[in-house]
Amino acid sequence: MSPAEQARPLQIPATLDAKFVQLIGRYPIKRSALIPMMMYAQDYYGFVGDDVLAEIARRLDLNMTQVTETLAYYSMLRRKPMGKYHIQVCTNVSCMLRGGNETLAHLRKRLSIGHKEITPSGTFSLEEVECMGACTGAPCVQVNYDYFEQLTPILVDELLEQLQTGMKTKPVACTTGSIHERHELEVPVISRRFGIENSRKIDVYRQHDGYKALEKAVREMTPEAIIDEVKKSNLRGRGGAGFPTGMKWSFVPKDSPKPKYILCNADESEPGTCKDRPLMEHDPHQLIEGITIAGRAIGSKQGYIYIRGEYRYVLDIVDAALAEAYAAGYLGKNILGSGFDFDLYTHTGAGAYECGEESALMESLEGKRGYPRIKPPFPAVVGLYGGPTVINNVESLSAVPSIILRGGEWYAGLGTPKNGGTRMLCISGHVNHPGIYEVPLGLNMKRAIEELGGGVRDGKKLKAVIPGGSSCPLLKADEIDIAMDYDSVAKAGSMLGSGGMVVIDEDTCMVDMARRIMHFYAHESCGWCIPCREGTAWLRKMLDRFHDGGGTSEDIPLIGELAQNMLGKTFCPLGDAAAMPTISIVKKWKNEFEDHLKGKCAYRPANDLLVLA
Amino acid sequence: MAELKQINFTINEQKVAVPAGTLVIDAAKRMEMEVPSFCYYKGLSLQAACRMCLVEVEKMPKLQTACTLTATEGMIVRTDTPQVHDARKNMLEFLLSNHPLDCPVCDKGGECELQDMTFRYGLDHSRFNEEKLHYPEEKWSPLVYYDAPRCILCFRCVRVCDEGMDVKALGVGARGVQSVILPNTSGALNCEECGACIDICPVGALTSGTYRYQTRPWEMTYVSEPCTHCSNGCKTTLSVRNNEILRANNRDQSGINGEFLCGKGRFGFDFTNNAERIRQPLIRRDGKLSPATWEDAFEEIARRLKQVRDKSGAASIGVIGSNHTTNEENYLLNRFARLNLGTNNLDHHRTADYAGLATALGANTLPAQATMADIYAANNILVIGNDPSQQNPLVAWQIRTAIRHHNAKLFLINSQPTKLERQSSLTIRVPAGAEAAAVRWLARGEGNFPEEITGQLAKLKETLEQALDAVVLFGAAIAGQAIRDLFTFGSRLKASTRLMALGDYANSRGAADFGVFPDRLPGYAPLSDAGERDRFSKLWGGEIPAAAGMTAKQMMDAAGSGKLKALYVVGANPVKTFGAKKSDKLGSLDLLIVQDLFLTETAQRADVVLPAASSYEKDGTMTSTSGELQMTHRSIDPQGPRSDFDLIRILSYQLSQLGMGPAIRLRTPEAALDEIRQNIPGYRVSAANLMAGGAERTGAAPQSTENSYSVPEGAIFSSQDSLFSSGTLGRYCSRLNSCNEAKEKPWSSSPNIQSWWYR
Repeated sequence: MSPAEQARPLQIPATLDAKFVQLIGRYPIKRSALIPMMMYAQDYYGFVGDDVLAEIARRLDLNMTQVTETLAYYSMLRRKPMGKYHIQVCTNVSCMLRGGNETLAHLRKRLSIGHKEITPSGTFSLEEVECMGACTGAPCVQVNYDYFEQLTPILVDELLEQLQTGMKTKPVACTTGSIHERHELEVPVISRRFGIENSRKIDVYRQHDGYKALEKAVREMTPEAIIDEVKKSNLRGRGGAGFPTGMKWSFVPKDSPKPKYILCNADESEPGTCKDRPLMEHDPHQLIEGITIAGRAIGSKQGYIYIRGEYRYVLDIVDAALAEAYAAGYLGKNILGSGFDFDLYTHTGAGAYECGEESALMESLEGKRGYPRIKPPFPAVVGLYGGPTVINNVESLSAVPSIILRGGEWYAGLGTPKNGGTRMLCISGHVNHPGIYEVPLGLNMKRAIEELGGGVRDGKKLKAVIPGGSSCPLLKADEIDIAMDYDSVAKAGSMLGSGGMVVIDEDTCMVDMARRIMHFYAHESCGWCIPCREGTAWLRKMLDRFHDGGGTSEDIPLIGELAQNMLGKTFCPLGDAAAMPTISIVKKWKNEFEDHLKGKCAYRPANDLLVLA
Repeated sequence: MAELKQINFTINEQKVAVPAGTLVIDAAKRMEMEVPSFCYYKGLSLQAACRMCLVEVEKMPKLQTACTLTATEGMIVRTDTPQVHDARKNMLEFLLSNHPLDCPVCDKGGECELQDMTFRYGLDHSRFNEEKLHYPEEKWSPLVYYDAPRCILCFRCVRVCDEGMDVKALGVGARGVQSVILPNTSGALNCEECGACIDICPVGALTSGTYRYQTRPWEMTYVSEPCTHCSNGCKTTLSVRNNEILRANNRDQSGINGEFLCGKGRFGFDFTNNAERIRQPLIRRDGKLSPATWEDAFEEIARRLKQVRDKSGAASIGVIGSNHTTNEENYLLNRFARLNLGTNNLDHHRTADYAGLATALGANTLPAQATMADIYAANNILVIGNDPSQQNPLVAWQIRTAIRHHNAKLFLINSQPTKLERQSSLTIRVPAGAEAAAVRWLARGEGNFPEEITGQLAKLKETLEQALDAVVLFGAAIAGQAIRDLFTFGSRLKASTRLMALGDYANSRGAADFGVFPDRLPGYAPLSDAGERDRFSKLWGGEIPAAAGMTAKQMMDAAGSGKLKALYVVGANPVKTFGAKKSDKLGSLDLLIVQDLFLTETAQRADVVLPAASSYEKDGTMTSTSGELQMTHRSIDPQGPRSDFDLIRILSYQLSQLGMGPAIRLRTPEAALDEIRQNIPGYRVSAANLMAGGAERTGAAPQSTENSYSVPEGAIFSSQDSLFSSGTLGRYCSRLNSCNEAKEKPWSSSPNIQSWWYR
């Protein structure tokens, strides 16, 4: 008899039981509820024990292997309890540049515990985590689901004090840097409601053009006309790959025996990127409206918003907005009397960067390990549950209502040819004004850093820029006088990516930068294909050793060569994402690698990185 | 079926035409161009994870995985360019980074795919200067060990367990470089213990508890032969060193089973050197079985048999034959009983009604009986009164694969829940014993069933009537008239219907085909047919008595009532099979002779015991339940025991010396097979294919016009063996028995089948 069988049936408390029932009801296939159920169970019990897991398996008709292996994949899910306050410290690039490592060191010292350890009283536990989407509020920590940003040791002490004494803490109400005075370079389109009081409420949204686009789309436009309008807008996917959105929609077969799905990729986790978070927290209805219009365009009756597990408070905001939208008749049966039915739900992730890859996201949404799928077939033909599926980033879908309302040509005109509209630019790192700015495509990168970001802080010189998330090749200070559109940045040898721009000053050690970036990809590699699984792990160890002064002259070309051997050969783009920045750093800052051969790191001293496990 | 469209494309400058949908990796293989791979495994789902099969395709910027690339018209593929070679080298370098480089002490050394590929495509040195990941080795069961550092995560084991076996006992733990394979119950396996994961593992990550670290593959010799346990006739390759079988597998994928083997086929060979094996003849002296010489034993038997015959007549002698002995031995036993002993009291434990099938099909036998390949090819499969997952593992594998590969539809009529229900389109649960009635309903619309069952049967009938083809498999419950009903039903369907009777033991079919019956001669020739009696009398050179003899059950009863005076038991354990309580009656026998491997419950009561060789220790042929004939070989010398062939042959000589019938002049199994091939209808098969290790279809059926046949009362019943039991023999397979699962009730009858963890 298996241990799980011997376990007594578990009494699930009523609230959790109701949540389970609600979750299971959201999906055509029960297994899809697995990850959300484990997350909510963990919220209740503090961890996912054998008995809970067995109960979830029972409810979903799964066996123990299936639930165990799914749980094992996601970094937020745990089999053992953590502290009452689980403090998660980000040390990824944006936070690292602004004191993430120091925050972690301070916490380790104050709590006398290390990575994934618990204080004897069980009050605190500590974990070094990857980018949590608070890059413009760096350095940040998350205590359970609460974000605390722009931390200093004094603020950390205050926070610990509050937690310890049971005082009310003050987590950030919204993403730091998302609300600020508008700069003249900005063209607020999708962020135009940021800062309006109660902007996330449906009434406020409706006072500001809300749901007019949907009315137009369902009453006046055919699905083809919607797709044409989006095509005209030259909107390109804002998740990072920049694929034309209208074209993606047009690939969906009109007649499909299987239900079609529209998925919103809100698994924002590209280091340096924190734009989807404010888009959802300030203006969830804009996103809901965009998704519903997309559903109408492709003939889908069902959509899901896959939100990364760390963004729980954002998910709650979106859930509340969804409830409002249902109540107002913008979702559900016969929307606005048009005969169009559309259901939309949120779905929580559980800690896996790979699930931002569209096919891995679909696997994850089906309640499995987030492994990418073989392509072709592409999602537009065979996607979620085998049905044709469109999957778009939050920012792309948020642009849809404006495009429908004001026309594709108007939107296209905001940007440069073939690069329509505006995009959210997250400037983090060593700048005076980290923040999230909505700018037209084609804005000069140098101007953005100097004028929007306020230039490099403390009067330091610029050394490097990550143009759009840590997967992009880094640009040197003299390579940034370029227009920020997909094609110009590509011409400069990098990518516009996800809009997560990280500014790096002259004191920063680029070996350290390469090392931190590789730590991230090694941690997030799903393990499916050999070159990424082994390559990222190898490079991580090698860069650790190299930075610690254990490098040899043979290592320098080998680092580049190993990255090159991964490039273009991995199953999904994660391997490329790990290889590209590494190759660019070794090539452009080879001198810094050579300097390390002479002894200790001559640049800004960095704290030891923990081996993330 | 419509002809598949041909696609013309080029590999390595050679033009090739392949059917539409062909993968480049398969096309290259067909052209004998190697495209290496770890994760690609024919028959299992595609992964494209190992990236070893990257090839260059013109007009594609990146290298493509040949395992997921479908050939298209005009495509130009190159598998042998510097870029491709570099990619392979790089992948191997990545793979070896955390892989232990201790090939000299690795259990897989010499037959490791990673070793072979590194030798062929890899770097000759390592550039990995970091610390390797290490995890301790895990014992998942007495049969399966997992060494995570060696694992290259090709996920073959996970897929074969899930897709192939439908057991789903393996998963993946953690992620990234720390990923490991995870067994289903906290660090241990609770599964069918088939061991497929071990054999499919390309490296030394999964190793066999029975084999690991005992030898090197090149120190062994390899002998392929049918498995000695169930009736499915899987070919198993025995790995032998120093006269000891160390391993059984079928990695060359030859045989009717491909590479499939269940736990019995893979691990159930250690009975051969079980300490309880009888190694020399035993004669009962002063109430105790004591070691004796062969000479004494044979003389004792012959003398006492003659005594019984002279005193009580030949009809007071009975013979119970075996489900494990070879065809040649059964053939000899038949002749020995009728000619030397002069009795027709000859039978065996019948586990399926092969005689009923042969008489029902008659001249149609060859086309109308299903082979294992037919199950795989079928679009519709009906199973009646059997649990193939437990009783006929290869049949179950074929069914599962047919469903998986081409959406075959499965229908079940059973009184018990079975694992296959998870994949069946329609499961009809009938009361125990009502399986034959269900068939009668299908064939003739007769019989009373509750409305629900009638509805289901009607639906089944309707579906099959529309079907393109159907294979019908049935267990012991379908016998005699029920088989005729089934045949009638099948012949009324539009499409061809093929039948297969599912018996229990390795050569149950052979025992039947070679007339180990009181009323049938070899090839199901009716004993009542004077012409057939005459034919065999001439062939064998002696008179065959005309009156039908007793069935095994009747013999056991007669032994109790004193009617039967002597019983010769060959490779059977009737005391156990026909009920332990009745066994006391054996006491009234004057003479009980048993030849077997072990001192079974029956042998313990014998007057003379002859040690016999198992099928792994002798030459001959065996017929699977599907009528497929294969050669068995002497893989090891049993050291002491003799083959039943020799024992029967020598006994016939001894008896001939006392004037009891002619001595058998066939000295070798080969000679006996020649005689069989010439004289037994349905067995005129190609000897060349047999000798080459192939399986030949047979279709023994009565040629006589006299076709009356009825099933003797209580003669046919299944042993209800599970994946962990194999009649008496299974008790001596200690490694298999050491598994926890072996102690559980068979899953088919346990409530576990309904439980959530085994979904």
